[in-house]
Amino acid sequence: MQAIEVSHLIKKFGSLTALNDISFSVSEGETFGFLGPNGAGKTTTIRILTGVSRPTSGTASIFGHDIEHDTIAARQSMGIVSENSNVYDDLTAWQNMMFSAELYHVGRKEREKKANELLKKFELYERRNDKAHDFSKGMKRRLTLAMGLVNSPRLLFLDEPTSGLDVQSNLIIREVVSDLVLEGVTVFLTTHNIEEANIMCDRVAIINKGRIVAIDAPESLKKTIQSVQSIEVSFDHNSADQLDKLSRLSMVNEAQKAGDKFKLYTEDPSEVINAVMGYAHTHNLKVVSITTLGPSLEDVFIRLTGLQRTGEKIHAID
Amino acid sequence: MPSTENRGLAERLSCELSAAWAIAKKDMRIYYFKPNIIVSGLFFPVFMFLAFAIGKNTQPGTLIPGLISITLLFSASSIEPVSIPIERRVKTFERLLSAPMSLYSLVTGESLSGFLYSLGIACLPLAIGVIVFGTPILNIPILITSMALTAFCFATLGTLFAAYPTENVGEVMSILNTVRLPLIFISGVFIPISTMPRIGQQIALVSPLTYGNDMIEYAYTGKSLFPPLLDILALIVFILVFQVTANYLYKKFNE
Repeated sequence: MQAIEVSHLIKKFGSLTALNDISFSVSEGETFGFLGPNGAGKTTTIRILTGVSRPTSGTASIFGHDIEHDTIAARQSMGIVSENSNVYDDLTAWQNMMFSAELYHVGRKEREKKANELLKKFELYERRNDKAHDFSKGMKRRLTLAMGLVNSPRLLFLDEPTSGLDVQSNLIIREVVSDLVLEGVTVFLTTHNIEEANIMCDRVAIINKGRIVAIDAPESLKKTIQSVQSIEVSFDHNSADQLDKLSRLSMVNEAQKAGDKFKLYTEDPSEVINAVMGYAHTHNLKVVSITTLGPSLEDVFIRLTGLQRTGEKIHAID
Repeated sequence: MPSTENRGLAERLSCELSAAWAIAKKDMRIYYFKPNIIVSGLFFPVFMFLAFAIGKNTQPGTLIPGLISITLLFSASSIEPVSIPIERRVKTFERLLSAPMSLYSLVTGESLSGFLYSLGIACLPLAIGVIVFGTPILNIPILITSMALTAFCFATLGTLFAAYPTENVGEVMSILNTVRLPLIFISGVFIPISTMPRIGQQIALVSPLTYGNDMIEYAYTGKSLFPPLLDILALIVFILVFQVTANYLYKKFNE
């Protein structure tokens, strides 16, 4: 049985088509990434899959339960961790956990046991009697995740789990998610952090303008754009016009500066390495390091969504 | 031995009720002592009542049924119009909408907190009547029934208005007050319905406060415009209409 089965889902808001005939399935135990630029349809998809919103047409089921007609049974097996750390600031960590467990019909003994276990795992146990409004952003995020796990879900919806978090919270969350995957929990992950999806996901779907434009394992997706390779090089010293000069080297399609390194996109890495060595010699520079890189998942994402890079950030063309 | 289907149904019902109760407890912990709820639910009806009662040439004790009625109206309908827009803003309402329970349980749970709050607050004028003015209560069971039904009816009304999809408490309160304030004047609280013009008497029939206040009056004086059974039926019909409409609106606005 599939954990998630989506078939020909369409969602319209008036004349706007937010989801345009999307279909995909997620196997039990799989970590599935759902990527897309802002406004692509990620949130609409999650709202339909969690039964908050209804599709205009098409079907979606969770472990065989139709989300529209058997909503409660479908929801019972899921945990939802939304992008906003939606904890109750005026309740203590413990009260938040108990409330979440009660909503999911977890029995008293079981919920107390589970809350103790999760609060310890997320390093919040010592603060369990403190109100959440005293918590840092990272602590609230950890509490949100703990609340999403209190009913021992078979399927976890994780929306931007580590966005803008401190290192400690980031590490704890990633470690817990890795453990869940080992326990066989299915994870549906949406993230803007493409590297996070690359590391964590078995498969990713890329959605753009309401349509799924690609769906495959990260490595398989990268293979589809082998023409986008790059050379990463750093010199012993840099000048202000170095980026401009490097971008004009033979066979370089695009150049970016990232810290003390330059990333040169090309279809012919060996030709560019020769050109870079020649450039260094001509300008009296010493090459500190030089690496050939294959296409990243971010490259795939940019290629398929029609976005463009500006420095380190990605911007929508429109 | 109950059939599997019946056991399944009983289990489902028990789950729905416990989720509704969890929502009510959460609201009690978070919102009962919020300043805007205390102002709207406690001070507002008291000052409103004093504004009309002071100067009237009547025994203060006779005004207790009316004070109880408007206290129930304002306090029961004040929790959800505050809590739900706030929860929309901080995104905790999404948590409730995506929980494994029906919208009816969500609406009931939300209304339950307004209901309990209102009953607690309405005990103040009740106690003042008994202790300070020695106002006699002729029919205690009818008083309890009337207070409970009136409180739940207005708590559901508050939940219904809170369905308006906004994150702004003021917006819901403004819309709600355009309904709550006229209700006081057309429901026999300050002006007896029998003395109102014909059109006023007809409008009074569509006000739930008319039936709640009528029944509370009966409990205190033994006199009422309608038989208590009719008042009970009318309040039950209002509760059902508010509940079904609230359910429909929460569903519609979340699509």
